[in-house]
Amino acid sequence: MKRVALALIVVLAGCSGKPAAKADGTKIENAFHGALQDRSSKSSDEALFVEKCGMCHRQMGMGTVILARRMKPEVAMLETRRDLTAEMITTSARQGIGNMPRISRAEVSDVQLARIASYLGKGVTR
Amino acid sequence: MTINPAALRAFAAAIGKDWVMFSDNDRIAYSDHFAGDETRHQPGAAIAPATAEEVRAVVRIANQYKVPLWPISRGKNFGYGGAAPVMKGSVILDLSRMKKIEVDAENGTVLVEPGVGFFDLYDYLQERKIPLWLSVPGNSWGSVAGNALDRGVGYTSYGDHAARICGLEVVLPDGDLVRTGMGAMAGSPNWQLYKPGFGPSWDTMFCQSNFGIVTKLGLWLMPEPESVQGLDFEFDKPDDLGWAIDTIMPLRREGIIQQSPSIGNWLRSAAVMTTREQWTKEKGPLDEKVVTAIREKFKIGWWSVQVRFYGPTEITDASMRVLEKAFDKKPLLSKKPASWKRGDAPEGSPVTGVPVSFPLANANWHGGRGGHVGYSPVLPPKGDLAMDQFKRTYALYQTYGMDYHASFAMGERHLTNVNQILYDKDNADMMGRVDRMFRALVADASAHHYGEYRTHIDYMDLVADSYDFNDNALRRLNERVKDALDPNGIIAPGKSGIWPKALRGGRS
Repeated sequence: MKRVALALIVVLAGCSGKPAAKADGTKIENAFHGALQDRSSKSSDEALFVEKCGMCHRQMGMGTVILARRMKPEVAMLETRRDLTAEMITTSARQGIGNMPRISRAEVSDVQLARIASYLGKGVTR
Repeated sequence: MTINPAALRAFAAAIGKDWVMFSDNDRIAYSDHFAGDETRHQPGAAIAPATAEEVRAVVRIANQYKVPLWPISRGKNFGYGGAAPVMKGSVILDLSRMKKIEVDAENGTVLVEPGVGFFDLYDYLQERKIPLWLSVPGNSWGSVAGNALDRGVGYTSYGDHAARICGLEVVLPDGDLVRTGMGAMAGSPNWQLYKPGFGPSWDTMFCQSNFGIVTKLGLWLMPEPESVQGLDFEFDKPDDLGWAIDTIMPLRREGIIQQSPSIGNWLRSAAVMTTREQWTKEKGPLDEKVVTAIREKFKIGWWSVQVRFYGPTEITDASMRVLEKAFDKKPLLSKKPASWKRGDAPEGSPVTGVPVSFPLANANWHGGRGGHVGYSPVLPPKGDLAMDQFKRTYALYQTYGMDYHASFAMGERHLTNVNQILYDKDNADMMGRVDRMFRALVADASAHHYGEYRTHIDYMDLVADSYDFNDNALRRLNERVKDALDPNGIIAPGKSGIWPKALRGGRS
């Protein structure tokens, strides 16, 4: 993969080295603190989300950065959303959406995807 | 290409029917999602074994039914084809379920299976508080092993990933299983410690090749240093590229600088953090006014480079003095020191081994569904040659109406001129220009006898053609090896322009 100018782009979320999970995760602050994600989890389903999706959908992930252009930055991270249904999540993962590639069943099985959808759908308000 | 149903049944019997996938949705999941036409390299099916023994079983069946396999580690080789095969209809051999990690913390090594991503390995080390750092690429979603085998690069002094490989386990095209280096001795404690072994060394033979399927890869990791120090340099003018390279390269050759500084232009930042329409509605290459606005927003030069030193503070302090002296009285736009010491809060960027995916956001530069293709010729590490290369390449970007996105990564004895061609995949006119420009760039590099270090699946034959000494003698050697090891031509036909005998007529 190619290089980018890291020192310019950087980052986010508190910037103290300990990322804050609630921040929008896309704010450019300064040149030398980083893209370190909060990789912690409190349940096995959340851990699965972190393992399979977190790299793009937690702080400073590719998905978070792009979604922040399409909606309010504070809900750019999927875990802060309240409108994600299981169907939306499954369709996005399997069909891809925008710049997100399709996720194969070998990478995330149907059973795993259902658990991730359940985790992300917990706060759904209709 | 339809896969023989009997072969699919045999694969299912060997590894379980859940892991033999051939619905339309499954097949398209392995397409190149950066491609304008995703059907062009669409596979015929995908199978996902979980162990080396299952890989061996799959390979034997593939030989029996003459089914071409395209092995992928995690399939995130974006810009080079992603998971997609060169040859349409090939069966993806998806190794992403193979995720074992064995770390030797004392010696600073890891043995990974192909499905282990950079984030996986990072989490593994963090959870166990093992003080070893990764070298990660700009897209860390991918596989540690796959990236090293494709000669990917990172930001630290361990950034030449292929050079840090130490020992492989490989399933050969006939299903035999071999371990390279000291791994050739059963139970050797030295497999990840001593690269050559006894007699010929084979590790590099499996880089960018189709001679076998790597199921385990040994890699050296950097012990957490006491300090990281460096300078971020900004340069005001396009013409500053030459002297900047000539100033840094002596330190690189002498081993003072051990990572590979990459001097790149203003678009690198803008393309990740913004979209084009935030700057201009005009089509055609970005004009000077836009370039100036981008530079002002990000407070950057026409070119930028970050140099970093790793090690005990006494040594990084001294290295900093050498670097400062080298740039003394040079017409810099600015320089800014960077420093991290053990005990500080995490610095949190790839410079200290933190995996990232945000650079992939540049696929959105043109607003919609986009992507990029990499064009990366290797040239001698001289400022005047780099300037000449830059000017010729820049002129071609202007001619084809594309936005110039480039960097020159400084190796110990070479430059890799990494250019990303960012595009909107739904713009057919632009996709046509990208293809024509890419071919023009390769022709231009070839005219100067520069070759690409890595390329997209669409251009593997084109680039292999450019390695033309003695009427492409290297390709003849590669294909003699191919035919000897893989007489049925089942492993990755067309990878790096290497085709098995029966398919050579299909060379593009």
